[in-house]
Amino acid sequence: MAVSARSTYDPKAGTDQHIVPAVLVRDVVKSFPISLSIGSWISHRGSVPRRTVLHDISLDVRQGELFGLLGQNGAGKTTLLKLLATLCIADTGQISIAGIDARRRPMAVKHKIGLCSSDERSFYFRLTARENLRFFGAFSGLFGDRLEQRIEEVAALVDLSPSLNSRFDSFSSGMRQRLSVARALLGNPEIIFFDEPTRAVDPLHAREIRALIRDELVTRQRKTAVLATNSLEEAWEICDTVAVLHKGRIVANGPPRDLNVGLMRFVRYHIRLDGSPDHLVASLSAIDGVLRVSALPVLEGVSLILEIDPGGNSINEVLRALANSGTMVRGFRSEEPQPFDVFIGLTHDVSTS
Amino acid sequence: MMSALADLFPFPNRIRNTLRKSGAAFIRDAKLAVSYDLAFWTGWLAIVVQVIGFYFISKLIAASPKYGYGGHAASYFDFVIVNLAFVRFQATAVQCFQSAIRNDQLAGTLEVIMATPTSLPVIILSRGLWAFTFTLTQVAVFLLLAVMFGVNLSHVNLLTAVVFTLLTVLCMSPLGVMSAASIMTFKQAGGTSFFMGGVTQLLGGVLFPISLLPLPLQYLSWALPITHALNGIRGAVHGATLAQLAPEAIWLCVASAILLPISLWSFSRAVERAKIDGTLGHY
Repeated sequence: MAVSARSTYDPKAGTDQHIVPAVLVRDVVKSFPISLSIGSWISHRGSVPRRTVLHDISLDVRQGELFGLLGQNGAGKTTLLKLLATLCIADTGQISIAGIDARRRPMAVKHKIGLCSSDERSFYFRLTARENLRFFGAFSGLFGDRLEQRIEEVAALVDLSPSLNSRFDSFSSGMRQRLSVARALLGNPEIIFFDEPTRAVDPLHAREIRALIRDELVTRQRKTAVLATNSLEEAWEICDTVAVLHKGRIVANGPPRDLNVGLMRFVRYHIRLDGSPDHLVASLSAIDGVLRVSALPVLEGVSLILEIDPGGNSINEVLRALANSGTMVRGFRSEEPQPFDVFIGLTHDVSTS
Repeated sequence: MMSALADLFPFPNRIRNTLRKSGAAFIRDAKLAVSYDLAFWTGWLAIVVQVIGFYFISKLIAASPKYGYGGHAASYFDFVIVNLAFVRFQATAVQCFQSAIRNDQLAGTLEVIMATPTSLPVIILSRGLWAFTFTLTQVAVFLLLAVMFGVNLSHVNLLTAVVFTLLTVLCMSPLGVMSAASIMTFKQAGGTSFFMGGVTQLLGGVLFPISLLPLPLQYLSWALPITHALNGIRGAVHGATLAQLAPEAIWLCVASAILLPISLWSFSRAVERAKIDGTLGHY
């Protein structure tokens, strides 16, 4: 499957074509001024140069999908999330959330979304977790008994029930992050934006947060989630679709498995053979589509590593050559491409081109 | 308080939600204020010190009709105490909105608040609820202390005093919202505190009657809301009716009607600018 910057994956495939995407982004460009000082403003006569941080971003997020935004630090993930959450305004392009234009009707958009900030400071330090949630819950439109009940529910989801009456400044980084997840869920929004929700969380709670997002929110409650992360494993493990952002551009967009296949430059095979078949190495190297053959002497034989073009059917030729050689094959396995290889492949290409 | 009010009357949903959100903001600000117990209690102590300080200063100054209302002589203590009490509303108006935005920028809560389905006027104006309630309480204690030190409040026209207190808050708040807009844009208070704290105290007749100022400065003084607010309050303290103080009341009403929409518009423009420049959460 080919991987392109625009999309390798038809988000509407297999679904009702008339369903409005939960998130639709078209040709969005975002820039920030290079300096905000008055001196700079004066020296540039009121028109301070701007640095573009997002270039022609287009993507669709289906309803009920868990969409990952993967990228290194500074790739533009948080800026994109802020645009979706109406906290930033795009220079050009269109953003709609649940079919609502985010530029024209930001208040209507805010009724549909929840935001899990990556900033662990984003609470009132001198209030308890419960008091914080009460305030943010009220501002999300929840009041009275419904609010109190919802606070208990979301606190239980992130395993913070026992700490609800503790002051926020006594919380560890991980607890703060989990409270941020709880806050995003308070208003029971249709669409939730998570900005690195497991960044400071210990492995056990990180796994629970991933399970909460994947199993509870997306699979069971059919919510839509957009997850910005710089964790490859997280994106590959739980996301239905991943857009890889690099230097403000989407360099790939599709289900993780398709990204793996689409970006594979070769398939690697490990073959254990008896003896030392030099002639076999030569004949395998001659097969069209075999990119590299290397032989490593091991105990009682040799280990061959073959890299084959994934586009052709050279593997059949290889198997035939092995059968015809009369050499005893002790082991044969293919090596799946790893997310890290895919990510490096994607970001390396862009940075060198 | 606001939440209880919302539950008490059959308001339309929108108004009910606005009241409840305002109530939530009030509770948050009250709890935050009380949590800083040293600042909270020294604030009360400062009131005592101020009253006692001006009690002794006023002993150096003879009573004069300049300090009274309608040609009646009054002591400097009577004059300055009422002014100092009510100028607190101006200080609160200027401080509470801008420091609320500044604190939310520093705490990282501003962006999260802005992502909730709450309108900008509610976000900014609700920040004044606790601050003005607290100031009102402080003013009451201030005046109570002053009475103990000999200020004569026996002629107060309560209705006029309440109306002018409300008009003072209404007219001062837009100045505070404009300060908050400047914080949103420039991320620091800049000259607003100096202007509001220093210049208006000088020209607004807080420490001395504006009749002592040169004529051009008296015209400038007339353009300041604090001048009319203090005139009204001083009049109320001396028993003046609303009809007698109508020019001051009308001035404050008109200024409020003009300044409030302008301040909310300027705040909304500042937020829009911050969203364009990506500086909403910057500080």
